[in-house]
Amino acid sequence: MSWRYRTTLLFFLVIFALIICRLFYWQVVRAQELSILGQEQYDEQVVSQAQRGEIKTSDGFTIAADKLAYLVYTNPKVVKDKQNEADVLGKLLDIKSATISALLNVDKFWVPITSDVDSSVKEKISAKNLPGVGFQPETVRYYPEASMAAHMLGFLGKDINGNDAGYFGLEGYYNRLLSGKNGYAVVVHDAAGHPILAKMNDSTVKVDGSDLILHIDRRIQFVLDQTLKDGIQKYGAKSGMAAVMDPKTGGILAMSSFPTYDPSSFQDYSENLYSDPFITSTYEPGSTFKPIVMSAALDAGLIQPNTQCNICSGPVQIGGYAIHTWNDQYFPNTTMTDVIVHSDNTGMVFVGEKLGLDRMLNYLQSFGIGDTTGIDLQGEEAPELHPKDQWYPIDFATASFGQGIVVTPIELLDAIGAIANDGKRMEPQVVAAIQTPDGKTIPIPPKEINQPISATTAKVMTQIMVDAVNNGEAQFYRLKGYDIAGKTGTASIPVAGHYDPTKTIASFVGFAPANDPKFVMLVVLDEPSASIWGSETAAPIFFNVAKDILMYDGIPPSGE
Amino acid sequence: MKKPLFIIGFLGFITIGLLLGNITLENNFSTTGITLVALQNEISTLKNENEQLDVKWLQAASFTTIDSKAEKLGYVPVTTEVDLTAPLPLALR
Repeated sequence: MSWRYRTTLLFFLVIFALIICRLFYWQVVRAQELSILGQEQYDEQVVSQAQRGEIKTSDGFTIAADKLAYLVYTNPKVVKDKQNEADVLGKLLDIKSATISALLNVDKFWVPITSDVDSSVKEKISAKNLPGVGFQPETVRYYPEASMAAHMLGFLGKDINGNDAGYFGLEGYYNRLLSGKNGYAVVVHDAAGHPILAKMNDSTVKVDGSDLILHIDRRIQFVLDQTLKDGIQKYGAKSGMAAVMDPKTGGILAMSSFPTYDPSSFQDYSENLYSDPFITSTYEPGSTFKPIVMSAALDAGLIQPNTQCNICSGPVQIGGYAIHTWNDQYFPNTTMTDVIVHSDNTGMVFVGEKLGLDRMLNYLQSFGIGDTTGIDLQGEEAPELHPKDQWYPIDFATASFGQGIVVTPIELLDAIGAIANDGKRMEPQVVAAIQTPDGKTIPIPPKEINQPISATTAKVMTQIMVDAVNNGEAQFYRLKGYDIAGKTGTASIPVAGHYDPTKTIASFVGFAPANDPKFVMLVVLDEPSASIWGSETAAPIFFNVAKDILMYDGIPPSGE
Repeated sequence: MKKPLFIIGFLGFITIGLLLGNITLENNFSTTGITLVALQNEISTLKNENEQLDVKWLQAASFTTIDSKAEKLGYVPVTTEVDLTAPLPLALR
């Protein structure tokens, strides 16, 4: 073989050896890395976003839902006439042009201007063909009734991983149920970036969130919101709250608190406004607590409605303190009915003494005082009752008329609800049913917690409360022709170790119609300035709302 | 001698047939990507339109909107009511 052939053969052998080495390098040494690079180029993991469930009132109207909105962003580096662009965007987005102008002067390629921009505004901006402006679709939570029942609804924010998460109220309590589960799929693209149908595979299937159907009656909620808001303004209160419940099922028909916030722009409000005061704030209930203590003594058989008080002729001395009535008027030998009608503190001390500490604490616990009610809203709190050995005689005496003892409004509403419901205490429930994504409706049955008093006692107590409405301090506001059971409350507020006589919590609790209650309602005003009395502030609000509910429910008057 | 040739020929025919079938299918699938994108875009547009209509309807039907519109039209809340507590007199003749 000539040297030319050998050289040519060697040349080809070297070339082949080089090719084999290079192939070995790609196929073995860097195989994993290149495989990942290839997958990244052709595969795309697509998240199939689960749709968050809607929240609907009892009439099927959606009060919380997802909607498509846009994040408006800009690339300041391509904007030449920054002032003109700032003016145009400012006008369309309702933002000060100086704010946008500042964003347009940032030395970045991508600057967000604002989010939650709806499609009509987006189209108007698009039509202007502004350089550098772009839109990023996003799903936002939408509350069609704005701040109506905001505390009860809660809001949708982000968790630490940047995912949507519900906070407070229903959005917080039912977050997992509302969220559903995202689905993930891997889509393979061709060289042009189009998906290849044959190579698409679903790794996990998404599960949309379930819808919540509430007990909330939108019409009652609206009336309560409006009346309470007007009442707070009219009586110059610092804040106010109210709720309406069906005593037979525990279903919450309406719940309202002011000041409030708009859940779709929660970040613009103080964090103090987020929690629902009706289930978290504690206060001394004052005279609205008297029906609970009175019904306990009636149920124990220790007194009758006509039992006479033998210590009610003047202030009662206990442990060096003198307990007075609210107006310093005294009624010797007053009956138990009149103790409630006149809201007589000395009479309640008499009832408390008859009851004794042990029995009173047992009844209070049975009425749910000192414990959470179990309402399906996030953040419920309940102050515990003092341990038995920490009750001094004066504490025990004042607790009998609702001072020196703290409750949450929902606790009191639920306890009075037991009197309205033949002595049976129901668990307050906001959600009536859950609607799954496949259309199934799962009702949540009413839950009876216990029966603190007998049906007979409840009837007797109801009649006493009807007398309190017809003949008590709030008689001028009562609705003619309707039997409404109720009780006013004007509680002193403890400030720096003493009670400030000029600052009160005014309240009214009651239910109607008394013989077959359709609703039980509690109205609480914090520090009303027009009048400190519950009978002149909270009671008118109660009766205004009650009138609308009775008319709306078509309940005719039955008497005088 | 003829039998092995027949088997080799048959296998070759099957191989070429399957190869052509695969090429045809791959060719079809590769072009469906464009159709798929168009369909996905259409679905997305329709979904968006549906959502926007839902939002418009909810906005129009909300009590907050109705209340403000009623106020603008001059409607006022009812402050008086009539109780029919006794039967009305009837003219018998």
